[in-house]
Amino acid sequence: MAESLSQRLDLLLRTQNDDGGWGYFPGKRSWLEPTAYAMLALDGHADRPVLDRAWRAVESWQLPDGSWRPGADVEGPGTWVTALAVHLCCARGQFDDPFTRGVRWLMGTQGREGNWLARLVSMFQPGDPDNDTTHHGWPWLRGTSSWIEPTAQAVVALHMAAPHYAGVDARVRDAEELILSRKCRDGGWNYGSRRALGIDLPSYPETTALALVGLQTRKNGLGEEIHHARVLFEQTRSRLARAWLSIALRNLGEDTAPPDDAPGNDILLAALEAMAHPDGNQKAFRVPAAGSRA
Amino acid sequence: MGLVGVGAGAGILSVEASRSGDGVPEPGPPGKSSVAVLKAASYEEDLVAKILEGARLCGLDVRGKRVLLKPNLVEFDSATAINTDMAVVAAALEAFRTLGAAEVRIGEGPGHRRDTLGLAEEARYLHGIHDFEGVFTDLNRDDVRPVEGFAGERFYFPQSALAADLIVSVAKMKTHHWAGATLSMKNLFGLVPGAVYGWPKNKLHYIGIPRAIAELNRTFRNTFALVDGIVGMEGNGPIQGQPKHAGVLVMGRDLAAVDSTCCRIMGIDPTRVEYLRLASALGHVRESAIEQRGESPHAVRTDFELISQFRNLRLA
Repeated sequence: MAESLSQRLDLLLRTQNDDGGWGYFPGKRSWLEPTAYAMLALDGHADRPVLDRAWRAVESWQLPDGSWRPGADVEGPGTWVTALAVHLCCARGQFDDPFTRGVRWLMGTQGREGNWLARLVSMFQPGDPDNDTTHHGWPWLRGTSSWIEPTAQAVVALHMAAPHYAGVDARVRDAEELILSRKCRDGGWNYGSRRALGIDLPSYPETTALALVGLQTRKNGLGEEIHHARVLFEQTRSRLARAWLSIALRNLGEDTAPPDDAPGNDILLAALEAMAHPDGNQKAFRVPAAGSRA
Repeated sequence: MGLVGVGAGAGILSVEASRSGDGVPEPGPPGKSSVAVLKAASYEEDLVAKILEGARLCGLDVRGKRVLLKPNLVEFDSATAINTDMAVVAAALEAFRTLGAAEVRIGEGPGHRRDTLGLAEEARYLHGIHDFEGVFTDLNRDDVRPVEGFAGERFYFPQSALAADLIVSVAKMKTHHWAGATLSMKNLFGLVPGAVYGWPKNKLHYIGIPRAIAELNRTFRNTFALVDGIVGMEGNGPIQGQPKHAGVLVMGRDLAAVDSTCCRIMGIDPTRVEYLRLASALGHVRESAIEQRGESPHAVRTDFELISQFRNLRLA
C-alpha cells in the first residue's frame, strides 16, 4: 500500500473516539460527517469491529422522524447528514428500518424555495430571476433553501437506495436538474447561487466537484464541466478541493494524481484524501448505473 | 452538556423590545460609549502601536482573559479587499498578548467556503501569522454547545466562542448588498457553526439578516470591535465590490457605536441601517451618545459608493 494512503488510514484508526465516531479533529467530539467519511475510507482497510463500533454510534444518532442529527452534541433537528447515513446503510448492505425511515425523511424533505407558497409567490412576483425555483433539491436543514452539497449528497444516497426503495427515481432526476440549473457561467458550481443582484458569481473547486459527484450518471451530457473540473484540479491549492475533485473525476473515468502531503490532523480531509487515492476506496461515491438496478 | 442562558440576569433588552414605532433608534443603554478612530495610511504602519493606543483610549482591560480574535475571512480575490487584512490580524494577536491576555486565539467560520485553512492560506494568514495553525480554530467545525432563546429557539455555537472571556470582532469596513454595511456586528455571523447550519448559514437569512445580527450581538455581549478600514470595500460588497482606501482603524467596546461611527466615516446614516435600529437597545447609534476618541469621524469621512438599493442610506 502506498505510504500516503497508509498514513491517512493510520490517522483514522488512531483517532476513533470511544463512542465509535470521529470528530473533525483528533480528541474532539464525534460528528456524523467525519464519521461517515472515515467509515467509507476504512471500508476494506479496517477490521470489521472498528466499522461496527462506528456504525453503532451512527445508529444512535438517528432521530424518531427518521433523520439523523449532525453530531453527538447536537440534539436535533436532523439535517443533510441523513443522506450520509443512508449512504452508509447502503455501503453496509443494511436495508432495515433505519434505512427505510431515513430514505422516507429524505423523500419528504426539500428546499424551502420549492414549497407551494414560495412557488405561488414566484409565479405572481417573479422578482428573483437569478435562481430557478422550478426544481427541488435538499437544504442543509429543513426550513431553508436547497444548496449544491446537500443536494449532491442526497442524490448519491438515493441512487444507492433505489434498488431497495421504490419511487425515488423521479425525485433524483429533478434534483439533478436543480444542480444543472445552478451552474455558474464559468462552467463550475459554487455553494448554489449562480447570480446575485444580476451579477454572475464564480464557481468554487470543491463545490464543482460535489456537483459532478451528484451528476455522475449524466456523464454523457457533461463536457465543459469535466474540462473545467480538470482545470480546477490543476490550479487549486486547496487540499479539500483536490480530494473532492479527484473523487469526482475518477468517478467519471479520469485519472488524477494522488495526494503527497502528510495528512495533518484534519480527519475529514484525511478520509477524503484516502478515498481519492488510486489504491483507496474509490468506489465509495460511485453510484450503480441505472441499468444495473434490480 | 450544559445549556447556556442568553443574557440571563444581565438585564439585556430583547431585540424585539428595541424596535420603536417610527423606525427611529431607541436612545440606547445608559451613559456614553467611547469609540476610537485612529489614522493608519497603510498596512506597513506600526499597527500594534495603533491597536494598543485604541485599547487604551477605550479603557479596555484584558489582563488574564481568554481572548478570541474573530477576523472577517470570507472568500479570496486578489483583485479586491474582501477579508480583514492579515497585517491587522497579526498586529491584534501581538497587541492583545502585550496587553496581558491569558490566551489569544483566532477563530473563524466562513459562510461560503468549507476549506477554512485553504482560505486562510490564500488570504496570507497561514504563512504571515506566526504559528497560525497553533492558534487557529475553524469555528465551522468546532465542538458546540446549545444556547436557548436565540431568535426564539435553541441554537448551537462553538465552544471556543462560548468559552472566550472576550471576543474581538476584527472586521472589515465594507458595504453589503443585503444589509447596507457589514462591520463588527455582522462579522459575528462567522460564530455560527457550518457543521450544524451549513454553507451558507441560510438559517440566518430566514431569520432575517438584520434580526440575526442583533440576536448574535445580544447573545455574545463580551465583545470588542476592531474594524479594518485601512482599505475597505465599496459598491457591491461584501464580495464583489471595489477596494476603498479609508485609512482608519476604528475600535470600541460598544459594537453598535463602533459600527455607527464606521457608517459615518463611510458616508452612511447609521440611523437608517436596519440592523443598527434593531440593535439600538444593545449599544449607541446616536452620535450624541458616542464619545469619539482620536480622530473625528467627520474629519476622516470618505464616502463609500452605495448600490442603488441603498442610496437612501447616504448621510446628509
